[in-house]
Amino acid sequence: MNALVISDLRRVYRAHTGVIKRKVKEVVAVDGISFEVGEGELFGMLGPNGAGKTTTVKMLTTLLIPTGGRASVLGYDIVKDESKVREHIGFIFGGERGLYWRLSGYDNLRYFASLYRVDPAVSKTRIPYLLDLVGLSGRGDEKVEGYSRGMKQRLHVARTLLHNPDVLFLDEPTIGLDPVGARELRQVVRNLQAENKTILLTTHYMFEADALCDRIAVIDKGKIVALDTPAGLKKHVQDLSVIEIEVFGLRSEALEKIRTESYVDTVSLENRDQRQALMIHSPRGAEAVPDIMAQLDGHRVGRVSVREPTLEDAYIRLVGGTHE
Amino acid sequence: MRKFVFNLRLFFESARLSYIALFRWLRPGTYAASKIIMPLADIMFFTFIGIYANGVEAAPFYVIGNAMHLAAINGIYGVTMSVGGDRWEGTLPYLFGVPGSRLFTFLGRAFFHLLDGSLNVIIGLLLGWLIWQLDFSQANLLLLGAAIATATIATCGMGLALGALGLVTVNIMFINNLFFFLLLIFAGANVPIEQFPNWMQTISQFIPLTRSIAAARLIINGAHLADVQSMLLVELLIGAAYALLGFIIFRTFEYQARLRGTLEAI
Ligand SMILES: Nc1ncnc2c1ncn2[C@@H]1O[C@H](COP(=O)(O)OP(=O)(O)OP(=O)(O)O)[C@@H](O)[C@H]1O
Ligand SMILES: [Mg+2]
Repeated sequence: MNALVISDLRRVYRAHTGVIKRKVKEVVAVDGISFEVGEGELFGMLGPNGAGKTTTVKMLTTLLIPTGGRASVLGYDIVKDESKVREHIGFIFGGERGLYWRLSGYDNLRYFASLYRVDPAVSKTRIPYLLDLVGLSGRGDEKVEGYSRGMKQRLHVARTLLHNPDVLFLDEPTIGLDPVGARELRQVVRNLQAENKTILLTTHYMFEADALCDRIAVIDKGKIVALDTPAGLKKHVQDLSVIEIEVFGLRSEALEKIRTESYVDTVSLENRDQRQALMIHSPRGAEAVPDIMAQLDGHRVGRVSVREPTLEDAYIRLVGGTHE
Repeated sequence: MRKFVFNLRLFFESARLSYIALFRWLRPGTYAASKIIMPLADIMFFTFIGIYANGVEAAPFYVIGNAMHLAAINGIYGVTMSVGGDRWEGTLPYLFGVPGSRLFTFLGRAFFHLLDGSLNVIIGLLLGWLIWQLDFSQANLLLLGAAIATATIATCGMGLALGALGLVTVNIMFINNLFFFLLLIFAGANVPIEQFPNWMQTISQFIPLTRSIAAARLIINGAHLADVQSMLLVELLIGAAYALLGFIIFRTFEYQARLRGTLEAI
């Protein structure tokens, strides 16, 4: 059975503008999206600011009623069986708000444990375990007010695992975390996936999505523009293999010649002291290297590398062109 | 049964934590001082004016009325902060995303204010005893305790309604002040209700404190349970009605916020 089934989900916000002449403006935040997420799958959502990712997550977590379409979590309808859905899900909206700042980390967890109807006997062992899991053991009795932003976010992670939910919605969980903290959190996410939890993750970090997700939906302006595995998405830019060549004292004739070659898509040049870094996008990939080297005859050449297009290259191709 | 136990726990956790959250920033010393100074200032102000107007033998009338009205500090301001505070903390999405009972969460937020509010009243009465030798020799203290409990329960009920309103409106401080003084005037703390014009007396019948203040005055004069039980009962019902209204506002807010996407709106 699929953990998430989303069909033609739609959400329109009515925003009021103007103080004296009040006008109603409609914003279509999610414009009829459909997808399914299997049990134990880690599903990513990528998309530019305002694409509708958070709105989608809010609907799936029962915090927002859809304008149209339907969705279910573990077979429970997100509108009709809202309390059943709530029992089985955990969610985080990135950032530091949403905790009781005047309470200690421990008390925050204790309160949410009772809101999630966790047995007191269970929460007694589970809270210290979770504090340890997110690297906050020893700080649990301090007021959240005094936590750093990253600590607050990690407390959110602990909060959402209190009732051991089967499905997790993580909306930009690593936003604003330091590199080490973000890496630790990714490890936590991996471990959760290993426990066969279904996870829906949104992020703006391409490598994060690439490293974690089984499948990714790219959404833009409320619509899904691509849905595939990370490798599958990269195929969209297979014709854009990136060749990087380090040259010393590149002459402009040579550059012009390379530019006009049929197998060269785009060329960009970056000056680094006496060296130049030449970046060539070519559909031929590594095969093009000997031909390019021939063009550079008589130059001193440094490092040469050919890299696979990254997810970021694919993402930019998918949504980049659509921005005004 | 199991569900009830969970709900009960949620009730007390809500109570405990909302109270810690509210008072953590106060040091014990500051808290103790505020517990004496506020009642003292309040009672002295009105009692001295009363004595100036009606002579020293009128002191008990003012002391009792204003001491009972001290329940409104917790009932109105405290409960409102405990219920409406989630809006400022940004915790509403997380609070509404849980399966736990809304009713017990909601009611729990008021619980410790019942105790703290009762303490206010007791301190107020003790100050009256210290300064104006308020005479408790005729009073059935157990019955007086019941009147105090009734006053705090009823004002906390009103506070729940205002707190829920605080989720909806920006101007909750104004509304709080309005209702705090509304109770001060209309409940008859400083003017006998019978001297009000009719329309004011009508309002007095539908708010907390009116009956518990009257009952407390009777009890200190030596009244028995039979003399005051119906007054106290009606006031409890009024408090429950306000609490119910609050819960309805709370649930309506929750539903509307999910419908319109305003859960995080400030
Ligand atoms: N409560 C709201 N009221 C009105 N409009 C809203 C509301 N929330 C979001 N929107 C609008 O809906 C659209 C989608 O917003 P959403 O927050 O879902 O985007 P997002 O993909 O999460 O973006 P980001 O990457 O910046 O977090 C935006 O145009 C936004 O302005
Ligand atoms: Mg977002």
